[in-house]
Amino acid sequence: MNSAPAREAPFSQGSAPVLVVAIAALVGLAVFGDSYAVRLATLAGTQALLVLGYQLVFGHAGALSLAQGALFGLGAYVAALLSLHAPWGAALALPAAALAAMLVAALVGAVVLRLETHYFALATLAVAQLIHLAAVNLETLTGGANGLPGVPPASLAGIAIGRGWPMLLLAWGLFAVAGWIVARVMAGLSGLALDLSREHPAAAQSVGIDVAALRFTAFVGGAGLAGLAGALHAHVVGVVSPDVADMPVMVGCLIATVVGGRRAVVGAALGAILLTHAPEWFRFLENRHLIAFGLLALAMVVVAPDGLADLLAALRRRLWPPRSEASPVSVLAPPVLVRTARKSAGLRIEHVGKAFGGVRALDDVSFVLAPGEAMGMIGPNGSGQTTLLNVITGILPADEGRLYLGSESLRGRPAFAIARQGLARTFQQAELSAATSALEAVATASFARVPRPFRDTARAEARHWLTRVGAGDDSARPCGALPAGRRRLVEVARALMARPRFLILDEPGAGLSRPERAELARRLRAVRADGTALLVVDHDIDFLAACVDRLICLDRGRIVADGPVDAVRRDPGVRQAYFGSDGETAGP
Amino acid sequence: MPTAQLLVNALALGAAYALVALGFVLVLNAAGAVNFAHGDMVMLGGVAAVVLVGMLAMSGLRLPGVALLPLVVVASGLVGLLVAALGFWPLRDRPPAAMFVATIALAAVFEQSATAFFGPEPRAAPAVWDGAPLLVGGVALGRQPVALIIVAGLAVAGVYALLEKTQVGRRFRAVAQDRDMARALGIRATRLIVGAFALAGGLAGLAGALLGHQFFVHAGQGPGYMLKAYIAAAIGGWGSVPGALLGALLIALFETLVSAALSAVWAQALLYLALLAILLWRPQGLFGEAIGRRA
Repeated sequence: MNSAPAREAPFSQGSAPVLVVAIAALVGLAVFGDSYAVRLATLAGTQALLVLGYQLVFGHAGALSLAQGALFGLGAYVAALLSLHAPWGAALALPAAALAAMLVAALVGAVVLRLETHYFALATLAVAQLIHLAAVNLETLTGGANGLPGVPPASLAGIAIGRGWPMLLLAWGLFAVAGWIVARVMAGLSGLALDLSREHPAAAQSVGIDVAALRFTAFVGGAGLAGLAGALHAHVVGVVSPDVADMPVMVGCLIATVVGGRRAVVGAALGAILLTHAPEWFRFLENRHLIAFGLLALAMVVVAPDGLADLLAALRRRLWPPRSEASPVSVLAPPVLVRTARKSAGLRIEHVGKAFGGVRALDDVSFVLAPGEAMGMIGPNGSGQTTLLNVITGILPADEGRLYLGSESLRGRPAFAIARQGLARTFQQAELSAATSALEAVATASFARVPRPFRDTARAEARHWLTRVGAGDDSARPCGALPAGRRRLVEVARALMARPRFLILDEPGAGLSRPERAELARRLRAVRADGTALLVVDHDIDFLAACVDRLICLDRGRIVADGPVDAVRRDPGVRQAYFGSDGETAGP
Repeated sequence: MPTAQLLVNALALGAAYALVALGFVLVLNAAGAVNFAHGDMVMLGGVAAVVLVGMLAMSGLRLPGVALLPLVVVASGLVGLLVAALGFWPLRDRPPAAMFVATIALAAVFEQSATAFFGPEPRAAPAVWDGAPLLVGGVALGRQPVALIIVAGLAVAGVYALLEKTQVGRRFRAVAQDRDMARALGIRATRLIVGAFALAGGLAGLAGALLGHQFFVHAGQGPGYMLKAYIAAAIGGWGSVPGALLGALLIALFETLVSAALSAVWAQALLYLALLAILLWRPQGLFGEAIGRRA
């Protein structure tokens, strides 16, 4: 690594002001605060942990869970029961509560996370209701509606943590540790992989990212923080009643997340502090402070969907403009690409068929793509090219037929597993997260590599690939700001970053000017010269002729021609497909 | 309780749930997102009924319960417009999850407003049809459940006719299927969507006023009703109107029978477990053919 040693993770880059404010707040509390203020600040700390966990689930993984509040309640009950009934239990209360919540989340998540947004929200809501029902009705265990009074203070390694300052420091100390870990993880490739998985799951799978596993990890991790927060809450308050698992906890957590910010660690603290202190600060509104807080959340959703943390960050950038970030790395010498030299493992498609309702999108499609070969695919619009790519890469299941990479069957395997076999692809509508820079978007593709590279190494290699496809100048720009043609190039670079043996491109030249296409064709030839096989779908036959040797023509889901470019160009069947008859017009 | 009375009660509950579910699905189809404040629109309908009776009594008027219903529908239709204005309109070009979150905040605002201005204690809404039980073929049937079935049945039939038989209904269904395509055909989609919110509010408020006599009205009951409608929509096949109506009837039947056989707590717990089972084994719903990839 020849990059500067100063990593520019957001947390270490800008955490000094945050620390100053936090210390000032603690000093202020010590000087002016009474015991009530300390208690409130402690509760804010427990809420901050809850919200931090929900940021993982909702903000990072994009799963609209409505069970986070109930998992908080579960943690509170586990901690209370352990400390009340087992003499040795007090010391274990905190970790046990976190583990219990994680266990329940793992059981629920394993079956429910694959549901679509609205079903997932409903399913988690049902689970939350079940937990709350159990809290109210399992009276012998939970004390029913009266709850469990007399929960002792927390205990760490046999030392009791008194309510008041010790507990306050424990809650916020745990938050600081958890927040630091989350910030570190999210500043690396994991954060990028989560961003892509949330916004473009198909694209994430196409570079080998196991989206389901990531979501599961985030869900369970978030639950652990919820359980921990619930346990702390039980120790602070001393009583646990079914209210801790009820809907208002969930709503408060969601609102705090939206107000504070969905992903920034600082936002979790801000949202939690606002949530717990709103009754105090809006006291002049009497019992209407919650109305005000709800309206504030609504306004935030509409006006500032990224929350207070984002507003503060923008303000800070305005007051103290950051020094223009030195270009992270000079272009490295091309990394040595050690190809997993699996002998002659070609891509074989045999009699593949796929129907949508009554429409046969693919009908008895067979071909072989040899290692290192370059093949183009043409055909009138709607002939099934994209469907075929989706079936090969596992995004759509084939109805019939067989697909092999070497001797391994690809059929029925998840898209990310197929990508890890060495098949990378691009999409017709470039699937890139708008806020991610081109460089980061490309670097994301190394997430699934074993071993996973460091972010700086990944960025250096990403810059290399961007330069190779001719988009090196765009590396610092967010993908959303790039014109359509450039976005496609970034996608090609991302696919190359996955170091594929087979590169599958869906209309890579669309949106580029004629000279740019010629340039891209030349660059693709160079990629191929490195030993990567190409399968390129496009309509521009001159572009294809410049980068592939062989063409197949798809018409209404069937292969009507297969051979050298010139032969297919002259093929009467191809003309028939395009013009309806063997006209005298020039070839397609 | 005699079986006939039990079935009439289940049917009455189902009819009220059907009103709730109908509005929920209309908004779901129109806006493409869940309105989490839907249950609170039901609650506000009940509040409107209680408050209206109080106001009329103070001015010396004593109207029969039925006469109140149009007023309640209008008032809750306005609530529906409010939800559209705050929870849908500013977010119409954002992903559906944005509206979901916004309406959760809105639901909290409604609940807190009801607590602050109406009070946290449960209160009974006026009966729609007062008097001694009817004797039909030797079986005594409460008048309120019978009135509930009739009113809710008429309202559902009216909305169904609106959707199926009128030009507005056809336009609405076009918007629900493909908003952009409908716009390209010159349909004023946003206007129809806002109309759907108003209609959903009216239906929800009607349900709240009807249910409020037997089950009382209180500020915290919103999420419960929302959940019933949500479940009805899920088991009926996401977005299917007849499926949601049937789902609502099934939920009411399930609740009434399980409550009678075991207890209300078991009825709730088993309902959630049944829902989870359905979502896992048949995510397209009990009656749906297939679900669209709607966010």
